[in-house]
Amino acid sequence: MGSSSAHRGNTGYVLNTTFRSSAPAARTRYASLALLALLPLAHAADTPGAATNGIAGHVPAQNRQAQAAPPTASSTVPAARWWVPGDGVPLAPYIAYPNAHGQLGILNTSGLIETRGHPFFEPIGKNGRACVSCHQPANAMSLSVAAIQARWRETGGKDPIFAAIDGMNCPHLPPDDPKSHSLLLERGLFRIFLPWPPKAADGTRIDPEFDIEVVRDPTGCNLHPKYGLKSENPMISVYRRPRVAANTKYFTHHGFGVFAFIGKNGLPAARDPDTGLPSGMNMLADARQPTLATQAIEAAVTHLQFDGRLPPEQLERIVAFERQIYTAQVFDNAAGDLMESDGPPGLGVRNLANGREGLLGNNITNYVIPLGEKWHQLPPSDDPEDEARRSIARGHDIFMFRTFWIKDVMHLNTVGLGNPAKRTCATCHGMHMMGMDIANGWMDIGTTNLPWAREEPENPWNPRDAQLPLFKITCKADVPPHPFLGRVIYTQDPGRALISGKCNDVGAIVMQQFRGLAARAPYFVNGSASTLRELVDFYDRRFNIGLTDQERDDLVHFLSVL
Amino acid sequence: MLLTCAVSSCATLPPSDHRNFVACPIVRDTSTVPCWLAEYEGETYFLTIQTDVSAPVTPPWLGHRVLVEGVVSDEPRICGGIVLKPLALSVMQELDESCNTMLPAEERYNLTFEPPRPPGPSRGRLSFGDPNMNPQAESTALPRTFELHYEFDGKVMFRHAQLLQKILAFVRQSGATQVAITGYRAASLLSSGERMLEQATIGQHRAEQIAELLKGAGLTGVRYELKWEDVAGKADGIDDAALRRAVVTVR
Repeated sequence: MGSSSAHRGNTGYVLNTTFRSSAPAARTRYASLALLALLPLAHAADTPGAATNGIAGHVPAQNRQAQAAPPTASSTVPAARWWVPGDGVPLAPYIAYPNAHGQLGILNTSGLIETRGHPFFEPIGKNGRACVSCHQPANAMSLSVAAIQARWRETGGKDPIFAAIDGMNCPHLPPDDPKSHSLLLERGLFRIFLPWPPKAADGTRIDPEFDIEVVRDPTGCNLHPKYGLKSENPMISVYRRPRVAANTKYFTHHGFGVFAFIGKNGLPAARDPDTGLPSGMNMLADARQPTLATQAIEAAVTHLQFDGRLPPEQLERIVAFERQIYTAQVFDNAAGDLMESDGPPGLGVRNLANGREGLLGNNITNYVIPLGEKWHQLPPSDDPEDEARRSIARGHDIFMFRTFWIKDVMHLNTVGLGNPAKRTCATCHGMHMMGMDIANGWMDIGTTNLPWAREEPENPWNPRDAQLPLFKITCKADVPPHPFLGRVIYTQDPGRALISGKCNDVGAIVMQQFRGLAARAPYFVNGSASTLRELVDFYDRRFNIGLTDQERDDLVHFLSVL
Repeated sequence: MLLTCAVSSCATLPPSDHRNFVACPIVRDTSTVPCWLAEYEGETYFLTIQTDVSAPVTPPWLGHRVLVEGVVSDEPRICGGIVLKPLALSVMQELDESCNTMLPAEERYNLTFEPPRPPGPSRGRLSFGDPNMNPQAESTALPRTFELHYEFDGKVMFRHAQLLQKILAFVRQSGATQVAITGYRAASLLSSGERMLEQATIGQHRAEQIAELLKGAGLTGVRYELKWEDVAGKADGIDDAALRRAVVTVR
């Protein structure tokens, strides 16, 4: 026991003692979730409702596959800025981590956290992972592909993030071959496996509005006899980026736009099984979990291969931690300190922690990311720091005020704006301080649906193979076609439709928050933009915005300081 | 959608100041928000400007035809189009790629008024008011009736969310034990004399969907009574949009 570690950044606390637990702790097992699979079948297309026992209806099927996948032999080697499950290092109240753009801050508003025995930091499942494995503080409580690649090199692929269940393209592949982990190593994607047909929160079967066919299966998982769509536990595998487990008060708010019926389609919102309150459904890419607690239950099953239900006291500790942790960029290499007392009120991690949640920020009395006047009014000078700040201010103004035609976006153009709508980035990215949608935030801008998704036409001279699966969706004759894509849709990830079973949800993805972007490339749900520049370029191409090089630079600069 | 002639070979027509037709919508840019227009028999009609989720009439979609049911008003033209008021718009569900006309801004077509919601950030509100997140019933006296109005062949959509919330809140606050829902199937008498019929089962689907949605929102402790009715024969081209509805009576 006991080893040195360096969980600190340039301005962090000095912590120099670690304790590594010798065995997974707190592996209390409750009744097997497999028992919960014995639930009735019924039509429930419009009734997501609330899970009756706190466990969403799709989770028991996931548990069966998670337990069937082999646990990968893993080892945990301490490394600078990498939080190893169970190493017992206390988490300081504030730590700053360097990244390519500057520094990222991690602020724990409840002060120092003892991680020993803490379920967010302990390997409570059977594959050696903890929550922190894929929600690393240095990566804004997410995981960058650069960190994943470094971890592969440092551990020879033995770190538990490479676990077979979802850290490989499919659990049946050889674990020591980097090709088996290509989606994780190259695009930062974990496998998300979801039962098909979908299940409502109460476990009843949803009759989907469409048929799904696997057109391309480069990972082999969707057609695999044990893990795929035709297995005895039918499952669809899609591949997604881990989301930020911080700043949670914002995307779990009960303010503007969150009520019992979803403002975008009038259907019932998912509800908190404990309180019955409606959820903003802004947590996961497909909005399948309504609360931090229900998400933690599923994540333990699917990502940690924990066989059972997390005990209430562990759930409470995980949720409490996720409610007290904030992350944002705090220093920019060019623009300097982002936490100056008279600096922009929307930047820096302390302003973020003190901000107000549940506010629509798409207006000039309450900006999405308040920058204030100071950086907008800097006089001309040759000072590179001033010029960087002017660039950030210009990028902000493009985000807020530059209009363009937003066209064929499901759940945006269909919600009262008309198609097309002449609006700005902030129209969709309107949540104050976060840049997410203030209400239930799934939309389809084409990140996973053809024709806009990143796809390269095949030709004899192209040595690159397609990485992601491709599905053909055929909407049934008795439902309206998708408003912009018709009755046949090709997609890399059906997104929300894998949960709702609805044709018009195909490829609709809940947008991510804007915080800590500099620390967690690549971007979009499928990691299809490897840099912020590629992200901006996607929007420019998709919506024919016509950004100049200077405007692209300014937008990238603005995004990189959030 | 089914088109038939009204009684006696299309002899029945809407009143002469009514314009009921299906056409491709046209979007015209302006110096502020875009205008939405449609053409019928050589004339251009103004439908609406770009608004937001809170507006009573919201713009149609390129890529789809739109059913226009409006009355010619004596207001000055907007964006070059005759103003229809009152007006109901229904986006046709099937795609039509020929509906793709976008016109550039021209000085002569700029709006002569400030739009309720600019194309960029607003001044802190939606165009026509913020949603009431926790509606309280003005009175909890029973029975009480609510009406949901639909687009042609339409079911519940974004604009129904708040009304459903209101019904849910009322049932809970009033202690009601029964929710009776009647869904209607209607038709639209077009200016051409053709009668455009909704899907035959839409009334039933409307009633069933509302019950399912209320149950999905947690309203399971009441008795639901569902009915549906075909009122397509009542279409007279005057206010046919009002016939596309569901009536929810809470007792």
